[in-house]
Amino acid sequence: MNGRCEGYSSGSLKWLLLWLLAALPIMTCSLFSSRALGAVSGVTVAVTPDTVLVGDRIHCTIGVRHSANDVVSLEGIDSLSVQPFELINRRQSSAVVSPGTRQERCDFELAVFTIGRQPVPRFTVVLRNNQGKLLTREPYRPSSAVFVRALTDSTMRELRPIKPPVKPMISLLLLLPVVLGVFGIAGVVLLVLFLIKRTVRTSAEKVDPGQVAQRKLRKLGSRLSAGMPPPECYEELSNIMRTFLEKHYRIRALEAVTQEIERDLKKLGVAGFESIMNLLAQADLVKFADSRPDAEESLQSLRKAEEVIRSARIPHSPDE
Amino acid sequence: MQHAVELEELGTRITEASRFIEKAEAQLSRRVIGQHDVIRRIFIAMLVNGHILLEGVPGLAKTLIIRTFAAAMNLKFQRIQFTPDMLPADLIGTMIYNPKDLEFYPRKGPVFANVILADEINRSPAKVQSALLEAMQERQVTIGTQTFPLEEPFLVLATQNPIEHEGTYVLPEAQVDRFMMKVLVDYPSYDEELEIMLQSATNAAAAPIIPVVQPDDIARARALIDLIYVDPRVQRYIVDLVVASRKPAQYGIASLETMIEFGASPRASIFLLLASKAHAFLQHRAYITPEDVKAIAYDTLRHRIRPGYEAEADNIKPDDIIRQILQHVQVP
Repeated sequence: MNGRCEGYSSGSLKWLLLWLLAALPIMTCSLFSSRALGAVSGVTVAVTPDTVLVGDRIHCTIGVRHSANDVVSLEGIDSLSVQPFELINRRQSSAVVSPGTRQERCDFELAVFTIGRQPVPRFTVVLRNNQGKLLTREPYRPSSAVFVRALTDSTMRELRPIKPPVKPMISLLLLLPVVLGVFGIAGVVLLVLFLIKRTVRTSAEKVDPGQVAQRKLRKLGSRLSAGMPPPECYEELSNIMRTFLEKHYRIRALEAVTQEIERDLKKLGVAGFESIMNLLAQADLVKFADSRPDAEESLQSLRKAEEVIRSARIPHSPDE
Repeated sequence: MQHAVELEELGTRITEASRFIEKAEAQLSRRVIGQHDVIRRIFIAMLVNGHILLEGVPGLAKTLIIRTFAAAMNLKFQRIQFTPDMLPADLIGTMIYNPKDLEFYPRKGPVFANVILADEINRSPAKVQSALLEAMQERQVTIGTQTFPLEEPFLVLATQNPIEHEGTYVLPEAQVDRFMMKVLVDYPSYDEELEIMLQSATNAAAAPIIPVVQPDDIARARALIDLIYVDPRVQRYIVDLVVASRKPAQYGIASLETMIEFGASPRASIFLLLASKAHAFLQHRAYITPEDVKAIAYDTLRHRIRPGYEAEADNIKPDDIIRQILQHVQVP
């Protein structure tokens, strides 16, 4: 029995030794190969923010832990356009996390232009030794994603909220009396101006043009006696007569020539027509034909003019 | 007083010297009915060496008036129908080669006459128009290398049809300005039309026109016109009218400021004075009054005032502008 037990124990031990002997080279080989090829111990991917509007930017941070002797690089994500993302900026830094281990940190700034759920693009971790010899290429498909929203009216409002209309400081109801007051004052001013104008016009109309003309003729006579040259006297006489005719008969006389005045007076059937026309013709001769009447002639013309005006002022009865 | 006596004496001489015009008018009235204003304007232009642009629809006796005028005045008349294919040589003449003596001789064109009727002047190209207008201005014509003075009196009456513009060459402003007056020929009155109809609707020959003017009459009249007295007041009135067409606001017609694109040129002042003198001569007066100026103001100014866009939009014609100017510029 002991012999059988010894035989069984020695047999198991023999098999265990045989298994160890067989496994040892493989384990050694595996350990050595692991040392020789290098290894990536951990890859982390973080994306902020997780929800953006189309056209916004996201920050993607990829961390790779590896042996301190190796060099890590990322492929696939570092190209300028990784649909649906556009690489805007990238930054890479490295730090020792424990003896013999380093942490590689890659920060990517990406812009996204497609709406919906967008997974972070695939990338490959490439491990090289100090001499630049490729050790491993490990592809990664991150599970992180970003949700991209479209630009709509509501999202636009989120971007730039519409300002509510500015409310007036004073309500219109309060302003109304002020506006009415201003209009009222303006109305009163206009009314006063109108009344003043009407009064002035009425008083001006009340002034008899014949009276004014006679006063002017008297003054002219005294100036003539004081030595005024007769041609100047005739010029003034013509102006006085024309002003009188314009105001008394309401015809255009100041801008009209003698012929036109003659036509208008003839139409009106003015009393003393012949005398008026003689006076105007005489004045025209002095003014335009260089006629030089003496003072006596001038005085006679003035007297004739006064007479014409006096007769024109006397209202004629309908029987006449 | 002495000056007044001189003017009175001049007035008597003018009355005598202007008799030939009355005789010529009597001859004209044998053939032409109405159109007294047009006839007066033609006399005015002839007396002061001016030229007239006649504007009126066809059939208003424009040609008849001028032909009869030339016949009554005993002047050589030429009618030139302006056409698009006309050349300046057709008007002024050209050099003709004589194979007998192997030399070139000038052949004078129809412009060598006393009274020229340039019918439908706007139908000919610009170079023909300018050849005539140059002859009008210079009163001489150059054919080849030889210069020939034009006969005196030299009066050009150009006609234009205001309603037909198709295929016409509009006269440039600078050339229109050379015409002393632009006279509008209007339709005759009802009675005149009746008389025209009765006189013309017959197979009988038209009444013959007897030349009533002696060669010296026109020259004597022109010499007397130069002596006509123009008072400084009237001189200023003429200038006022012309300046008012350029700066109406200065004369209290601000509303015209936008209506006028450009006003009358200094030629307007010159022709206004000359035409006023001739008008006074026809009235047997030795001095000008503002009436003379007003009487010919429309004809002298209408082609020299160019209405602006606003005036055209409001259908305001140069005559309306002149009317406003005459109403606002104070008469001396």
